[in-house]
Amino acid sequence: MQITNAVEIENLCKDYGKLHALNNIMLNVPEGTIYGLVGPNGAGKTTLIKVLVGAVKSTAGNVKVLGLDPLQDKWKLRGQIGYMPQTPALYDDLSAKGNIMFFAGAQNIPDLEKKTDEILNFAELTNRANDLVRTFSGGMKKRVSLCCALIHQPKIVFLDEPTAAIDPHLKLQSWNLFRQLAKTGVTLFISTHLMEEALLCDKVTILRNGEIIAVDAPQKILERGKTILKFSEGGEIKESIIDSTPESLAKELQRFGLNQSITSISFHPDNIENIVLNIIREKENSEQE
Amino acid sequence: MNTLIIAKRVLKQLQGDKRFLALSIIAPLIIIYFLKLLFDTFPPTILVTNFTIPISAFIVHFLSFLLCAILLVQERTRGTLERMLISGFRRSSIIGGYSIGYLGLATLQAVAVLFESLWLFDLNYSKETILILFIVIWLLAVVSVMLGIFVSTFARHEGHVFPFIPLIILPSVFLTGLIINTDALPGWVAFIGKCLPLHYAVNIIHEIIKPEYSLHNTYVDFTVLTSYIFLLWILASLTLRESE
Repeated sequence: MQITNAVEIENLCKDYGKLHALNNIMLNVPEGTIYGLVGPNGAGKTTLIKVLVGAVKSTAGNVKVLGLDPLQDKWKLRGQIGYMPQTPALYDDLSAKGNIMFFAGAQNIPDLEKKTDEILNFAELTNRANDLVRTFSGGMKKRVSLCCALIHQPKIVFLDEPTAAIDPHLKLQSWNLFRQLAKTGVTLFISTHLMEEALLCDKVTILRNGEIIAVDAPQKILERGKTILKFSEGGEIKESIIDSTPESLAKELQRFGLNQSITSISFHPDNIENIVLNIIREKENSEQE
Repeated sequence: MNTLIIAKRVLKQLQGDKRFLALSIIAPLIIIYFLKLLFDTFPPTILVTNFTIPISAFIVHFLSFLLCAILLVQERTRGTLERMLISGFRRSSIIGGYSIGYLGLATLQAVAVLFESLWLFDLNYSKETILILFIVIWLLAVVSVMLGIFVSTFARHEGHVFPFIPLIILPSVFLTGLIINTDALPGWVAFIGKCLPLHYAVNIIHEIIKPEYSLHNTYVDFTVLTSYIFLLWILASLTLRESE
C-alpha cells in the first residue's frame, strides 16, 4: 500500500538576517500519524510549524501540506488545517465558548454551537464555558486554544507545545485524544521540548539549531541508548552496560546462561532525555572534528 | 459575513473594557475643558471660535488613530491576528471588521467632543451647521481609524506606533491650518500640509462656521477627505502582513 504524505518538506531554509533558523530541512510526515518535533528551546520548532501553516515565508525550499503550498494555496488549505500556537492567542474579554465560536466563524461549520459544546465537554470546560478567558489559568487557556484548533475537524493539526503547563491528568487525556484523532486519519504534527512526550509519537524528528539531527521511531531512538544490567550473583552485585537493543540484551543474557547463582536481574535503560542529549552531543562533536 | 463577526468581537471588546471606553470618551472631554481654560486667558482680539471646532476635530483624529493602531498591534503581539488569518479570515474582513468596530467608538467621541465644545464655548450654530460639523469630524475619525490600521502594519509592538506621532500628528498640528494659516507657509511646507487629511477637515470646518457659508465651497474638500478613507483602506489591505 502506498503511503501518502500529509507534509512534504524539501531543502527548507529560513533565515532571519544572519540567523539560520531552519537549515536544509528534509521531512515527510505520513498521513494519520502522530509526528513529534523534539528539540530544546530555540531549535526552530515554532519556525518550522509557522512555515507549514503559512505564517512565515521560507527563504528557500519546497513545502507541501496536504499536497498544497501553504502560501500560494492558503485559502484551500486553511479550512483543512488546525493550528494551536505556543501562546494561547485568545481574547481575554471573550468566554471560552465565545473564543471557539469566533475563530470557527471563519469557516462555514454546520451546527457550530452543538460542536462547540461537544468540544468544550471533551476539554472538561463545560462548567466554565461562559466565563471570560481572563479568569482562566494557563492550563485552561491551553485547553481552550486546543478546542479552537480542533473545532472545524481539520485533516492535519499543528500543535506547538500543546501540553506545556497543563496538569498530568489533562496531558494524558490530550494524548488519548491525539491518538483517537490519528485513528480517524487526522495527522498530528506536535512540537515539544518534553522528551518523554516523544515516546508517545509514531515518529520523531530531533531538531537542534535549525537542523535535523535524527528522524526515527521513538523505540529506535530509545535503542540508541545504553542499558545498565545489574546482576545479583551470590550476594554480589555486578553491573554490565550494553546497547539498549533487544539483540544486545539477549546476547548479554546468553553470556551468563541460565546460571542458577544469579538470583535477580534488573534493567536500567537510558531515559529518552539522556539519549537525545547524547545524540545532540555526538552531532556537536562530529561538527567540531 | 466575516467582517461582521470581527466587528461584533471588536465592539464586545470595547464594551467589556469599561475603563478603556470611559477613558476614550472622558480624556478628550477633559482636554477640551483645559482648552477652554486656556482660551479664556487670551485677549478678546483673538477669535478663539475659529480654533475651537478644528482643535476638537484634531483631538478625535489623534485619539482614534492612536487607539486603533495600538489595539491592532496588540492583536499582533498576542498572536490573535495570526490565528485569525490562519483560521481563514481574510485581510479585507479584518480591516473592515476593525473599521466598523472602532467607528462605534469614534462616533461616540465625535458626538461628545462636538457637543461639549458647542456648550463650553457657547457656540450658537444652526442645526444644519452642527450636523455638517458632526459629519466632518466623523469622516475624519473614519480616516483616523484607517490610518491607525495602516500604521499598525509597520509595527511589531506597541512602541513602534509612537514614532508615527511626530511623523503624522505633529505636521497635522502645524501644517494643516489648524493653528497657523497655511498661506503664510513656504510652498513645499504647505504641500506637505495638503497631503494630510486634517487639512481638508479644517478647510470644511472653517467654511461651515462662517455666518454665511456655502456648501459648494466644501465639495472638493469633502471629496478628498472621503477619498482618504478608500485610499487608506486599499493601502492597509495591501500592507497587512499575512506572513513574516
